[in-house]
Amino acid sequence: MVRARYQQPLARPNIKTRLRSYLRDHVRVFLFSLGKLYRTPFATTFTLLMIAVALALPACLYVLLNNLQTVTHKWDDTGQISLFLHTGTSEQTVEQLKNELTEHKQVGNVDYVPAELALREFQDRSEFGELLAGLPSNPLPPTLIVTPIDSAKQSDSLNKLKKEFQSIANVERVQLDMQWLQRLQAITNIIHRAITAIGIMLSLSVLLVVGNSIRLDIENRRAEIEVTKLIGATDRFIRRPFLYSGMWFGLLGGILALLLVFIVLLVIRQPAQDLIGLYNSDFKLMLPSFVQSVSLIGSSIILGIFGSWLAVGHHIAKIQPS
Amino acid sequence: MIEMQNITKRYPGNREALTHLNLTIEQGEMAFLTGPSGAGKSTLLKLIAAIERPTRGQIFINRKNITRIPKRKVPSLRRHMGVVFQDHHLLHDRNVFDNVSLPLQIAGFAQVDINRRVRAALDKVDLLDKEQMMPITLSGGEQQRVGIARAVVHKPAILLADEPTGNLDPELSAEIMRLFSEFNQVGVTVLIASHDLELIKRMQKRIIRLCAGECVDSQSL
Repeated sequence: MVRARYQQPLARPNIKTRLRSYLRDHVRVFLFSLGKLYRTPFATTFTLLMIAVALALPACLYVLLNNLQTVTHKWDDTGQISLFLHTGTSEQTVEQLKNELTEHKQVGNVDYVPAELALREFQDRSEFGELLAGLPSNPLPPTLIVTPIDSAKQSDSLNKLKKEFQSIANVERVQLDMQWLQRLQAITNIIHRAITAIGIMLSLSVLLVVGNSIRLDIENRRAEIEVTKLIGATDRFIRRPFLYSGMWFGLLGGILALLLVFIVLLVIRQPAQDLIGLYNSDFKLMLPSFVQSVSLIGSSIILGIFGSWLAVGHHIAKIQPS
Repeated sequence: MIEMQNITKRYPGNREALTHLNLTIEQGEMAFLTGPSGAGKSTLLKLIAAIERPTRGQIFINRKNITRIPKRKVPSLRRHMGVVFQDHHLLHDRNVFDNVSLPLQIAGFAQVDINRRVRAALDKVDLLDKEQMMPITLSGGEQQRVGIARAVVHKPAILLADEPTGNLDPELSAEIMRLFSEFNQVGVTVLIASHDLELIKRMQKRIIRLCAGECVDSQSL
């Protein structure tokens, strides 16, 4: 038997080489996983559309809600407080009260509507004019209309002002013309919660969609995974292309979702502006901002990676060479 | 190089594939593993590659006990081996070059080294002109040679082969065996499972005959 010369084994590459190969492998897998999606156009389109629809729905609702909130905020600005004084309060007292109120730190402007003026306006505007004219005395009280300064226009401080004004002598009743706005705000809060819940559920469905296509991909590549494991590939090496696939699903699905959001909003833009226009508002439907667009795509990418991570963690460990 | 002490492997269902087997293969040795199907040839190779764990007994590779090697250390153990399969297990979505370079990519070699080593390995199996071809376009013998190139490209100390000539005609089989003995001549420890007795007798190497899970005959030349 020929005595063997011992073959010089390949030295393990040094850390620098390994690091560079590691990065090279990331770049390779980055492109490889994109190519893989490109080579299965039907399945890829299907998955991407499912992701896009699941994300576009809550995103559209969110943008619409955002618009609604800016509209109601604008209406907030008109927040005024009406102080109805006792009937028969003398002009002098009213004038004094008006001056006191004007000096209040949180009050911007005070208008005085004498009882006679209020009556005349009411007669002009309503059909009860003649009926009112038949009354022996003016039933309407003199009124002070207080417009608070801008910083005091949140409902909290408005309510505080209301309480404060109620304790003033001569003031019979204080009315905040805000109640319907508060109701609207309560409703938008509910809608906000509902959209968040829908968003969470549909995000979950994105996880499942991505996880499922990655699972199928792993199943199709069972033989390849077995071989690479047998050659000495670590689980991390095997996981990498699937995680990148998930990333691509997220990125492309997110872009598609954003596109859908823009299409939907542009379609409803004109009718929505017409509707709000009826309320005498120069309303312009806002499209998603840059930050909102980026966060939509960003969360889509995170969902994609997380979805594939769930599938990969479960299935790759199960595949062992046999 | 490979030492098995009192190895018993029992599969679920109480089927015993190997029973109290003792076997030592020296560094630089070339040996054939033969016996009827079901004698435990494949099981023995699987135990060496840590695909299966023994039920009892100990396995040493290069004096390291791998009997209870933790999962995360299995990849690095396998990088010291080359494995050749009967159905070559090539990846059909990439060309010959990329198939052969896989072990080097996994181990993180620099691209220049990969190019050099892959060409050397392909040259060795005489397929240098086919590096850009897809495996599916090659003949059975050529595919098996690609599989061998992939098994030796990282210069493993141990080369395992499970029926590497199972699907080949006698002429091609002899050529494959000649390749294995060439690797053995540069110092690689080679263990080949085969039932082709005619062929392995001609090779004039050690033959380990397995029968019903026991090592009944080990003749050294």
